[in-house]
Amino acid sequence: MKSKKTAVAEDDIGRDIRLELFRMQLELRLCEKRAFDLFLQNMIKGTSHLSLGQEAIAAAFGVAMRPDDYTFCTYRGHAHTLARGASMSGVLGELMGRECGLLGGKGGSMHLTDVSKGAMGSYAIIGAHLPVAAGAAWSAQYRGTEQVSVCFFGDGTTNIGAFHEALNFAVIWKLPVIFVCENNLYMEYTPIHTVTAVEHPAADRASAYNLEKIVVDGNDADAVYRTATKYIDRARKGGGPALIECMTYRHSGHSRADPAKYRPEGELEKWLERDPIKIYRERLLGLGIVDATLKDIEDEVNQQVNEATEIAKASPPPSLDGIHQHVWADGGASWRN
Amino acid sequence: MNIIMPQLGETVAEGVVTKWYKKVGDAVKADETLFDVETDKVSTEIPSPVAGIVAEIVVAEGVTAKVGATLAIIREAGDAKAAAKPAAAAPAVASVAPAAAAAVLSQAPSGRPRVNAADRLSPVVRRLVAEHSLNPSDITGTGRDGRITREDVKEFIARRGSRPASAPAAVAAPAPVQAGQTVAFNGIRKRVAENTAKSWQTAPHVLQVAEADFLRVDQARKLHGAAWKAREGFSLTYLPFIVRAVSIALGKFPKLNASLQGDGLVLHRRINIGIAVDLNFDGLVVPVLKDVPAKSLPQIAREINDLAQRARAGKLRPDEMTEGTYTITNNGAFGTVITAPIINQPQVAILSADGIRKKPVVVESDGGDSIAIRPVGVLAQSFDHRAVDGSYSAAFLAEVKNAIETRNWEQALES
Amino acid sequence: MAELTYRDAVAAGIAQEMARDERVVFLGEDIAAAGGVFKATVGLLDKFGPKRVRDTPISEQAILGAAMGAAMTGLRPIAEIMFSDFLAVCWDIVANEIAKSRYMTNGQVQMPLVIRTANGAGSRFGAQHSQSVENWAMMIPGIKVVAPAFPADVKGLIAAAVRDDDPVLIFEQKSLYPMKGEVPDGEYVDELGKARVLRRGKDCTIVALALMVHRALAAAEILEKEHGISCTVVDVRSLVPLDTATILAEVALTGRLVTVEENPRLCGWGAEIASIIADECFWELDGPIIRITTPHIPLPSADQLEDNTIPSVERIVREIREKID
Repeated sequence: MKSKKTAVAEDDIGRDIRLELFRMQLELRLCEKRAFDLFLQNMIKGTSHLSLGQEAIAAAFGVAMRPDDYTFCTYRGHAHTLARGASMSGVLGELMGRECGLLGGKGGSMHLTDVSKGAMGSYAIIGAHLPVAAGAAWSAQYRGTEQVSVCFFGDGTTNIGAFHEALNFAVIWKLPVIFVCENNLYMEYTPIHTVTAVEHPAADRASAYNLEKIVVDGNDADAVYRTATKYIDRARKGGGPALIECMTYRHSGHSRADPAKYRPEGELEKWLERDPIKIYRERLLGLGIVDATLKDIEDEVNQQVNEATEIAKASPPPSLDGIHQHVWADGGASWRN
Repeated sequence: MNIIMPQLGETVAEGVVTKWYKKVGDAVKADETLFDVETDKVSTEIPSPVAGIVAEIVVAEGVTAKVGATLAIIREAGDAKAAAKPAAAAPAVASVAPAAAAAVLSQAPSGRPRVNAADRLSPVVRRLVAEHSLNPSDITGTGRDGRITREDVKEFIARRGSRPASAPAAVAAPAPVQAGQTVAFNGIRKRVAENTAKSWQTAPHVLQVAEADFLRVDQARKLHGAAWKAREGFSLTYLPFIVRAVSIALGKFPKLNASLQGDGLVLHRRINIGIAVDLNFDGLVVPVLKDVPAKSLPQIAREINDLAQRARAGKLRPDEMTEGTYTITNNGAFGTVITAPIINQPQVAILSADGIRKKPVVVESDGGDSIAIRPVGVLAQSFDHRAVDGSYSAAFLAEVKNAIETRNWEQALES
Repeated sequence: MAELTYRDAVAAGIAQEMARDERVVFLGEDIAAAGGVFKATVGLLDKFGPKRVRDTPISEQAILGAAMGAAMTGLRPIAEIMFSDFLAVCWDIVANEIAKSRYMTNGQVQMPLVIRTANGAGSRFGAQHSQSVENWAMMIPGIKVVAPAFPADVKGLIAAAVRDDDPVLIFEQKSLYPMKGEVPDGEYVDELGKARVLRRGKDCTIVALALMVHRALAAAEILEKEHGISCTVVDVRSLVPLDTATILAEVALTGRLVTVEENPRLCGWGAEIASIIADECFWELDGPIIRITTPHIPLPSADQLEDNTIPSVERIVREIREKID
């Protein structure tokens, strides 16, 4: 027993961070699951892209970053936005199109943003946000604040033009931006390897931009955390950008409209064995953290999700006034006098 | 360029220049305020349409001039025209003019031959012709192929001076009211006296009356009344429903939404309904609800309320008193039974909505006839027999009655 | 007052704003060391240094994406897209991202950025380097659009654009770069959303933009002196926000609208103004609305061909004589 406690205390990560990582992954998982349930109850309309199974990446980076760092993510961005500390009721409210939504019902699932928490947007056009993330990094470098910009995207993004422009740009200006590719093996409905010239769609392109090839197990929160802190710290001190490929898997289809029948038999089951939260829980127990502690966290997060759901459900639809607001900085929408 | 007295409302024929902002020799910029004008309805600033130097002030401050009269002349840069045009056509005081306008006012045709002049009237020419009750064939066109241009119409108006129809200014002295008491007419009273007398003299009025059962209207008013009052700040009266019913009927009977012109009837495209508003027994003004078919019932109710309030406060804009195509007068609050209203020229019909009171009516059903108590209202229309006949008018009234009695007013209020 | 060329006015406007506000930075292809392919940004690198004036690779999406990211995080960047035709290469960033982020996030995101670009024909560059594409920008909700005709307007509108908190696209007409004009000394800031009446007449109101303003003025002079037709000329200057009040007032005075547009016919900026006039000024019109535009074809490159494709002074005079009475 004693040796296990020592194992945790001596560890480079430590007990507190680990519990934070566990809690964070759980928040992302349970909130996302709740979103799926609400969709089945027809309380969430439109399209939504779930990141069930990929929580370790968003959580680990979320814990590794400073509160004033910037993140940019894709339309599959509920988890990344929550991981910066955005409110659950704000996220669920936005998905349900309510007044309490993060965006007042104006943006929807694919555009979750919380600027107050550094979550600088979820982007629905593949690749568009990579140069934008580089721009935020340039701004931080210019202002000398040591902020870092972290940009999340999928394997499919590595084949679009903006990916290549952004990487070259970030390298030549030595910008403090970390490009994180979540390789979940599928570009929408197509296996990524059938449409990519190289095996690792991101990591095998790194050398083209004079960057290190970095591949990490995206379902191991500790592994991702260590990689994240290493390269974020390096960027913060002026060491320039990095391109990190995290191997993972998504449990559901590309979007809720997709039951993902294109997956080969047994693939999903194999990956479910490697569910990041399942793995992490076992590891924490192995490191001497008692089950009751983990159970408490699970109960708390469950309650948090339930409370957030009630708040979102009770929130009214947004006022129609919002239709003509916020095109411009003055809050209005007028194009003429 | 001649600065003329503008037309500030359909029933306005003259105005007083109350203040000149420039004197002779002053430079004026385009859109700079040039003078103030006051009519019996409205007081407003008039900007200069052009830049130039004030060459002549023809009508001094405090003097009344007819619409279209030349008030001043501005010499523009590069103005090749003679600097001063004779102001003879614009006498300072309203003068008597024969009722038969055409003989006096038509010009000897000159200039290029007109090619289908009536077919080539531009929007602004049409508007000016309508506003001044002109006949295009009286106007010489100097545009391409003899087209009548805007300038041609403006010059025609300026030369001619006054509108064709004007009543004798002398009013018969009224029989003594009470010993020693004489109540002089104010501007509005004079206006109403002139217009009603003229209308009565020229249009053969026929009165036709229908009754309508306002049950469904009442049901809708009861259902929505409290919430409406709380939300809008004023009560939902019968008038908006009547306006809507009339606009529906006018759509089906367009000859009552028209004006006489020569030997024909001009059917108006728009349905603009004027609502007569009494100004505390001290005159009458008729604000106009434009394009009634395009408005929802709640909009109609709001606009009537807004126009009536501003009418009583003297805050109507000139364009809110023009272009009416039909008029409704409403004396129901005093419980009158029937009124035979006088047509508001140049329209061809007018409706009086008198009191709506509970009456016993016979209700037919399969089981036999029975008596019910219903809110019954009288709709009294005066129509101009030159324009339509009794059966047309009666069919129109039947349509109004039908709308009032059968329309889904609850749904209309929810739109 | 100083006499500056249109291109020098660009550098002057940028310099004025960069001197005033440290958050203003400038990036683009060949804009720093070379002073711009049109020599419109000469001297800025020397004055403000390589941290604030930066040359980029040929990466339009990265240029505008980076400008957007910087604008979202506290800077006020000016980005150059060398030829306005190249906006097509990075149109996603303009139309989908920059124009919409503030609205989609319900006002959370800031976007105080300026995109300058060399627009229009007359320089024999051929179809892919000569387009007038202000109308592309006009029709996307969420971006402001200006197109200066005179050097003074260049300096003043660049200053106004940089100080505006919304994304502004400035379309400089590349054939006007050598043109000289009076430019106010010292700090000079113009106003977005304001048209300017350059000449008053009685017979028609010509509404024009950028290079076409100069041709309209020349045509108006000929029409007055030789044909007795007097024209008002309005320089629209700003497509979004649009100074509809001035345009409506000026058209009401003459009763006729003529637009002179360098863009190809369909959906040119003048079509929208014609529509507004037909709706809100209908009862003042004394004749049909006339649009004088480049025909709906890609632009040819040879001198004679290009000159007879975009509206010329001669064509403006001819069309007005034929259609205005």
